[in-house]
Amino acid sequence: MIEQLGNGLLLGIIIAVASVALSLLYGVTRIVNFAHGEIIALGAIATLFLSSPVDSRVIFLDRFSPLGNNFYISVVISVILCGLLGGILEFFLFRPLRKAEVGNIAVLVVTIGLSLFLRHIYLLFNAKPQNFPLELQRRETYLFFDMTPRNFRVLILGIFVMVLIGLFLNYTRIGKAMRAVRDSNDLASVSGINSDNIILFTWISSSMLAGLAGVFQATINDVRYNMGFLILLLIFAGTVLGGIGTSFGAMVGGFIIGIVVNVSVGLPFMEGHTEAKNAVALAIMILILLFRPQGIFGEKERVS
Amino acid sequence: MKFTFKSSFTILLTISSIFLVFLLNEEGEIPILFNLLTFAGIYGLAAIGLNVHFGLTGLLNFGHAAFMGLGAYVTVLLIPHAAGREGVVVTTGLPFFLALLIGIISAALFGLLLGLPAIRLRGDYLAIVTIAAAEIFRLLVRDLESVTGGVYGIINFSNSLQQYRSGFIDNFASSNELNPSQIWIAFLSWTSIILVLLLLRRLTNSPWGRALRAVREDEDAVRALGKNAVWLKLQSFMLGAGIAGLSGVLLAFNYGTIQVSTFVPILTFYVWAIMILGGVGSLTGPIFGSIIFWVIISETTGIAQLIFENANGQQIAGVRFVLVGLLIMLLMIFRPSGLMGKKEELLLDVK
Repeated sequence: MIEQLGNGLLLGIIIAVASVALSLLYGVTRIVNFAHGEIIALGAIATLFLSSPVDSRVIFLDRFSPLGNNFYISVVISVILCGLLGGILEFFLFRPLRKAEVGNIAVLVVTIGLSLFLRHIYLLFNAKPQNFPLELQRRETYLFFDMTPRNFRVLILGIFVMVLIGLFLNYTRIGKAMRAVRDSNDLASVSGINSDNIILFTWISSSMLAGLAGVFQATINDVRYNMGFLILLLIFAGTVLGGIGTSFGAMVGGFIIGIVVNVSVGLPFMEGHTEAKNAVALAIMILILLFRPQGIFGEKERVS
Repeated sequence: MKFTFKSSFTILLTISSIFLVFLLNEEGEIPILFNLLTFAGIYGLAAIGLNVHFGLTGLLNFGHAAFMGLGAYVTVLLIPHAAGREGVVVTTGLPFFLALLIGIISAALFGLLLGLPAIRLRGDYLAIVTIAAAEIFRLLVRDLESVTGGVYGIINFSNSLQQYRSGFIDNFASSNELNPSQIWIAFLSWTSIILVLLLLRRLTNSPWGRALRAVREDEDAVRALGKNAVWLKLQSFMLGAGIAGLSGVLLAFNYGTIQVSTFVPILTFYVWAIMILGGVGSLTGPIFGSIIFWVIISETTGIAQLIFENANGQQIAGVRFVLVGLLIMLLMIFRPSGLMGKKEELLLDVK
């Protein structure tokens, strides 16, 4: 059980970071972004590409990088790349759709098409699961969790990032503006907030967070072209559980989902059924949507 | 179907896309054509079911693969088959058509079970719930190996249906050097499409169909007129799910085996692409959408060869899904009503 709790915390931090990103985007733009998983995967794939030795062909392209293959620099560049992708998507795809007053459901279907599109572009480049070029580490005990030092660092970094997001949303001007646009786009515009810029900023920051979640996911597990899609529903579950559109809720919800998925393996009726562990988290999500659609921390809103 | 400009254009486009198959392939055009027509029939049927949900009633269902899968699994498990790693042989079973009926009814009941709580949810939430329910279904089927064969699937069930194959199918197949069992499935799926469309045409032109469209347009108004909007939506959900179940059965019999990897979210997205291409809310649209879609799919190998020299299976699949994703995006952005749909009948915003 304790070992699974450690794994649960690690999955929890991935899902929490990704859920905050998804929730932020939904809150400000009302877009249910099914392509979120593909931005997550980009973070991991770009990091893999940039941090591999020069002569290796990790993806279809020959590797090149003027900045060498330092892992941390690669992570930073990849996260920035994800932000860039988010910005491009908003600027060239979702902003024109918004200006043309395309409905939410149409945009949702567009994100599904986008997800298929991007995911299989990655497949064309990188079909095999691969690991980051990092040395193997032995598990150590922290408090009472067993994990490798690297994974422990991921956990700490993740918690740090989430504290940072919380501070950012509550105390900076732009964070407050994001919350204002989330609460009411019209009122925010009236009080002099340029909602287009805020939405662009939200896309960029949400995508950067997603990219970071992808790096976490790949550090703990491995890099796959469909790694984002595989955990997308868990991210939805985390977001919905905490309250879609909330940030703090999404963090907590993400953590709970990550822990539930791994701890459920230890439940008596799950014995020998580890493959179905995600089903438990998805069932929780459906139950939450049915009985408390605003989630644990969300405010009541019409969802029917 | 009236022969307006729109429908004439669609028919012309469909016929020319079939000609494209002859143009692009130097040999084996006839088997390629019949292969794609089989898939077009099966997926077209599934898209008709989805259109009952989305086009007619405005329900955002992203779990279509599960309805198809449930129909297929229930039917196949009720007839003689061999399942699982060891291929446990079950020689006794119900007659095929009784099993089929039970399969379709179970898919519809699954629709009811899922719909009862979920149907009240707003569009985007319903999308998440249905895709999650479909994943739960898939994970459970994969996990319950003792019943469903798990990842090893189910085999040796085709004969229950193929024994009814009529002689003219055999004659037609042998004179064209085609696989008779596939032609039989193609025949059955296009027959099903005609029957389902006749049924749906009656239903949609009845007071019931008008009430459903009214639910899509303005649920409150329907309630104010004393109709039970939730029950209407549930009926539509069950009807579409049942049609999906039938198409799932045909899909399983076309493959001759049933694999859990068939009923993945990608299957749902295929059906969505076909429905959008054919025209949301149009009864006959999905048929044409399906044929054109499968012409595109069957030519992806060629497209992949243009991009990569000696493209391998993975690259061909990649190119195929890239195209499907692009198709969904472009259609939704530039022509959400597809070939045959009416723009004013589209539900594109969350109500």
